[in-house]
Amino acid sequence: MTAPVIATEAGERAQPPASAPRKRGRFSVHFAHYKWLYLLLLPGVVYFAIFRYGPMYGVSIAFKDYVPFLGVNDSPWVGFQHFQDFFSNPDFPRLLGNTLILAFLNLGIAFPLTIVLALLLNEVRLSILKRTVQTLVYIPHFLSWTIVASLSFLLFALDFGPLFLFLNSVMGTNIDFLSDPNWFRPLIVLQEIWKNTGWGTIIFLAALATVDQDQYEAAIIDGAGRFRRVWHITLPGIRSTIIVMLILAIGQMLNTGFEQIYLMTNALNRSAADVFDTYVYFVGITQGAYSYSTAVGLFKSLVGLVLIFGTNALAKRFNQSGLF
Amino acid sequence: MIRRRMSLAAAVVTATALTLTACGGGETQSADISTVNVMAPFLEAQPPSADGAVQKKLEELTGKDVNITWAPNASYEDKTNITLASSEIPHVMVIQGKTPGFVKNAEAGAFWDLTDKLDEYPNLKTTFPDIQQNASINGKVYGVYRGRAPMRAAVMFRQDWLDKLGLEAPKTTEDLYEVAKAFTEKDPDGNGQNDTWGITIPKWGALGTNSPYDFIETWYGAGNRWTEKDGKLIPSFETEEFLEANRFVKKMVDEKLINPDFATFDPTKWNEPFLNGKGGIIVDVDSRVSVLINLFKQADPNNFENKVGFVGNLEGPDGELNAHPTDGYSGFLAIPKSSVRTEAELKTVLEFLNTMNGKDVAVLLNNGIEGVNFTLEDGKAATIKPETEEAKAVNTDIKSYAQLGMNVAGNSFYPVKQASDYEQQVFDKRTEVMAEDLKSAVYNPAAPYVSATYVSKGAQLDNIVADARIKYLAGQIDEQGLKDAIKLWNTSGGDKVKEEINKLWQDNK
Repeated sequence: MTAPVIATEAGERAQPPASAPRKRGRFSVHFAHYKWLYLLLLPGVVYFAIFRYGPMYGVSIAFKDYVPFLGVNDSPWVGFQHFQDFFSNPDFPRLLGNTLILAFLNLGIAFPLTIVLALLLNEVRLSILKRTVQTLVYIPHFLSWTIVASLSFLLFALDFGPLFLFLNSVMGTNIDFLSDPNWFRPLIVLQEIWKNTGWGTIIFLAALATVDQDQYEAAIIDGAGRFRRVWHITLPGIRSTIIVMLILAIGQMLNTGFEQIYLMTNALNRSAADVFDTYVYFVGITQGAYSYSTAVGLFKSLVGLVLIFGTNALAKRFNQSGLF
Repeated sequence: MIRRRMSLAAAVVTATALTLTACGGGETQSADISTVNVMAPFLEAQPPSADGAVQKKLEELTGKDVNITWAPNASYEDKTNITLASSEIPHVMVIQGKTPGFVKNAEAGAFWDLTDKLDEYPNLKTTFPDIQQNASINGKVYGVYRGRAPMRAAVMFRQDWLDKLGLEAPKTTEDLYEVAKAFTEKDPDGNGQNDTWGITIPKWGALGTNSPYDFIETWYGAGNRWTEKDGKLIPSFETEEFLEANRFVKKMVDEKLINPDFATFDPTKWNEPFLNGKGGIIVDVDSRVSVLINLFKQADPNNFENKVGFVGNLEGPDGELNAHPTDGYSGFLAIPKSSVRTEAELKTVLEFLNTMNGKDVAVLLNNGIEGVNFTLEDGKAATIKPETEEAKAVNTDIKSYAQLGMNVAGNSFYPVKQASDYEQQVFDKRTEVMAEDLKSAVYNPAAPYVSATYVSKGAQLDNIVADARIKYLAGQIDEQGLKDAIKLWNTSGGDKVKEEINKLWQDNK
């Protein structure tokens, strides 16, 4: 979803000032005038045409009964049949529900935590401590999901995992976290927080650095405490960054992370674990139903598109600068 | 660096070409095929080198240039489909099974129908027509199947534990329960702690994949995937015996005779509890017996001979032996029509496959090169030790080349001579037990039949029952829940699968 956004930005930058052509026919003059700028734009346009828009031709198999031997062109056209099959499939509500619940949990918990962590880091005065903590919280981002999943399996292993033993003794229960469907989502969100929260703070920390220091001094003189300063100066100062990051996060929201979920799924928690991404893999790659799974993927993209436009419009309505 | 750039550029160009143009049909090959292009999977870390000794010998024996494209086993099916959509289609493709992707391509006419052609070639004429029939799509043979041992189900257990507790090797499922119970409760390792269990089962859900659950269900008389009842074929999970078998397994789960994390336990660690003295029984294919013995041998070369015991299939509660056979084949070698265009070309390729299936090539693909990596002792291939550099390369390569073996008329290569007398004894006993069990094999009557509905959503359907089976065993749902899942299988499209399979079965009777 980020790709078209960049395209728009690039396009805007290359556009001439508002004093451009008043009459028709002026365009050639205008073009001649700015030809070097247009030339600069060309590689970007070609890149997107070939690598982003060209492959979308393959999306047409969502409307066909694709057989690899026959190729994309010669496979029979079936229109919206795959979509109909999908919407009437008993799996559909479950998939949509699982995907949305996980997406909102991630957005509602992991996203604010990133801001909180950035604010906390920002308040640390001791430079060496701040840098050390920053480095430490970035590290998990560089571990692959396979390693994160293996760690989780070790920590939560039935009957001997340290966290399994600890949590169950605290709660006085005997829960197998790895196979209990009720614990699937908390585990996923926890992993997401552990892995990506630190990394996510980078942009917020950069934004925090731009907040005007004079305002803090003024606030201190006015007698504002730490929380007052955060609330009245810091947060408003990075509001536009938060909005942009939120819109971007919502655009990515339905990408619930195939690897992570695939690795944590088993027969016992599948009812909570099946999401669009894993479903597309199971049906498309392992069962060879390419057309059907493309249709599912296309539907997912459509939902993502609606979400991103919706948030953008909402942001504009509340007088914030949207993304586009 | 420059070379890498070039290949990257080439890859980009190809990718672009692939996305921008739909690559139909391949280039016309000359009728005389002198280079045979083959696509095959490899299971080792590295594919064999293209100028190795085995490759050279293969070209010498077949009189053709053989150009093999090795693709990693894990992504082989994707690669198959991508290859079929490209313009670089090989003359011979190893196909790993009747996957929906293959069936669709075959039915669209992507492969030669070899049903009436194979019998003309002495080495391609099968001596096991049933297996060839099983490997077909509704009776149409689209490839030369790759033969595999038809019987492999076994129960292996810690012999030292069994001896210590003074127990007999299990013969029936009831015995299995008794042994598992004793292994769990009677402290078989003698450390005074209650830290052992009976059977270890890993995360293994899917139906009909030779899992421990599948074996036990067949032993109970539920049939093998499909079973005949009142003149109709029904899936084995609709039988009363299926429920009985799972009640039996659930009883063992509830009494902690099975590892409690059976739904999540990593299959690659399956041997560990057995070796470490935690779980004393494994229900799996018989080749694991030798794997386990080998592992014990590595740990202690002087004391490994009394660790692993095994038996074959177990009798069910009714005293009958219902043995669980394999499909008897593992995919097939198919010939795509877009690269092999005429009957004359087909003949050349089939003659090539005929040579491949002869004794000389079979020995090369499976044993290696005599005098280099093995010598012949009493009709058995004995590995030459110490291993030379050259022999090492051959030994590594044949692990991949064996993927090209078909052996449709039985194995014509030499059996491997085992490293010690004890291991040879075990190997011979395995062969004997499996041959005996084969007489009581319960075959899948629907094996040759491919239903259209099953192709489009069979795996999803089967998941419903497979997941419910695990949930039932774990206590997440009760027996009614399991029955409801089977009902859901029917209403979600299973009814149609049954109808189609029965029609195909009736038509071909």
